[in-house]
Amino acid sequence: MKIITLDNISKRYRLSQLGARSFREDFMRLFSRNGANTTDEFFALREVSLEIEAGEAVGFIGSNGSGKSTLLKLLARIVYPTYGKLTVRGSVASLIEVGAGFHPELTGRENVFLYGSIMGMRQSDVRAKFDRIVEFAEIERFIDTPVKRYSSGMYVRLGFAVAAFINPHVLLVDEVLAVGDASFQSKCLQRIEELRSSGMTIVFVSHDMTAVRRLCSRVFLLEQGHVKAEGAPREVINQYYDALGLKPEDRQ
Amino acid sequence: MSQSEPCPENHIEWSDSLIGHARELWRHRELLWLLTLREIKVRYKQTALGVAWAVVQPLSLMVVFTVFFSWFARIESDGIPYPLFSYAALLPWMFFSTSLSFAIPSLIANSHIITKIYFPREVIPLSAVLAALLDFLIASAAFVLLMIAYRVPPSWNLLYVLPIIAIQILFTVGMSLLLSAFTVLYRDVRHTLPLVIQIWMFVTPILYPASVVPERWRVWYFSLNPMAAIIDGYRRAILQQRPPQPGYLLLAAAVSCLLVLAGYKYFKHLEREFADIV
Repeated sequence: MKIITLDNISKRYRLSQLGARSFREDFMRLFSRNGANTTDEFFALREVSLEIEAGEAVGFIGSNGSGKSTLLKLLARIVYPTYGKLTVRGSVASLIEVGAGFHPELTGRENVFLYGSIMGMRQSDVRAKFDRIVEFAEIERFIDTPVKRYSSGMYVRLGFAVAAFINPHVLLVDEVLAVGDASFQSKCLQRIEELRSSGMTIVFVSHDMTAVRRLCSRVFLLEQGHVKAEGAPREVINQYYDALGLKPEDRQ
Repeated sequence: MSQSEPCPENHIEWSDSLIGHARELWRHRELLWLLTLREIKVRYKQTALGVAWAVVQPLSLMVVFTVFFSWFARIESDGIPYPLFSYAALLPWMFFSTSLSFAIPSLIANSHIITKIYFPREVIPLSAVLAALLDFLIASAAFVLLMIAYRVPPSWNLLYVLPIIAIQILFTVGMSLLLSAFTVLYRDVRHTLPLVIQIWMFVTPILYPASVVPERWRVWYFSLNPMAAIIDGYRRAILQQRPPQPGYLLLAAAVSCLLVLAGYKYFKHLEREFADIV
């Protein structure tokens, strides 16, 4: 079954929209001749079409600004495509900047329930998994402390732990493995592998080619918003390195 | 893999059906409640008085108003003791003004979540309104004590308070949805808001009775400002043992319903761009 289908997806950002607008600016724009100038438009993705099968673990690689993160945000429904049709058959959860939903004044315990709910979990579900979440994050002693007193490592561990126990059909993973110490990183990777072998569809975005090779069965190379290549991890990663002009001894 | 829910088909396309949106909101009711609790917990955390602030704020305003407007300026109050007279209006007014001042900038204040995780965005301004509603209910308990102290006789007219609260909630929700979405586009709203709320308070019968407004202006006074009809309705039902003015209240109800529909539609229409702009 195709769980994700992208049909001619384009995503346009207006650069002038990135900041806050004010009445005055828009009012002025009405009177300026070149009201809709195209120079402040930017396509993060251009006419991308692809399909992902249920149970696949797919990686997206590419240099900064190639559209990887925009693609994940589209799949997570955070942003909407400007053109094209995007279908996801199932629930989606994202490990994009875990802990983003935490409130600093609330305790770890309160935040686990709040963050779980923001990510679409039922309260009864969070309650059932609560002990395992806390154990995974290794912060049993501090669970009733406001998270503003947490170290950044504890913060991220708790965020990842909550997200790692959601049971979505599709899990989006974006560079979360870059945080935390080495032992926690490998624990996270292990957890993602566990979820993968349980049949969950995984979409993985990373600059860490070793992790991509380890997790993914298929890889897409993005370049300036286009799909440049697609296929087995080895070949696509090599193609990426070739495009970067990296010598074989510098490759991971 | 054990799935708690059947596999839903999420076409990530724009649909403009309000019923569909409302259904999705209903599925996220737990989140709405948790965000409301968060709002309240955060507001009173590390404060000595805690939730008592919900009572202290309107109570202290009531005392100041009584001293300056009733004792010194001798503003009339339709024969009702001024503390009761002003508190009955201040409570619902503070529910309204607190809702707006928290709900309208709420999307910007929560931009860090909006740009990271998907959920129906309206739960954010709605939770601000709900938190203010809880404050309102707590402060109302103190009002009941005040009514007993002043020996206000209970009457069946008190029941009118229920539909009036419903209308006020609708009006507040409509304003919050409309203006919180608008604020994402135009930050100007944030700077205008305190001034507008202050002016609005003076054109609403809170410090003074609606009866001081000249007869020939009264139609406009009540029809243009639903809050005037709502506040006047509370006073009549609670303190004067008589029904509210049906015409003006029904008009306010109609305006509120329209506002909720239009506000929700506008909000959901802009929602898809929030993460791009905010």
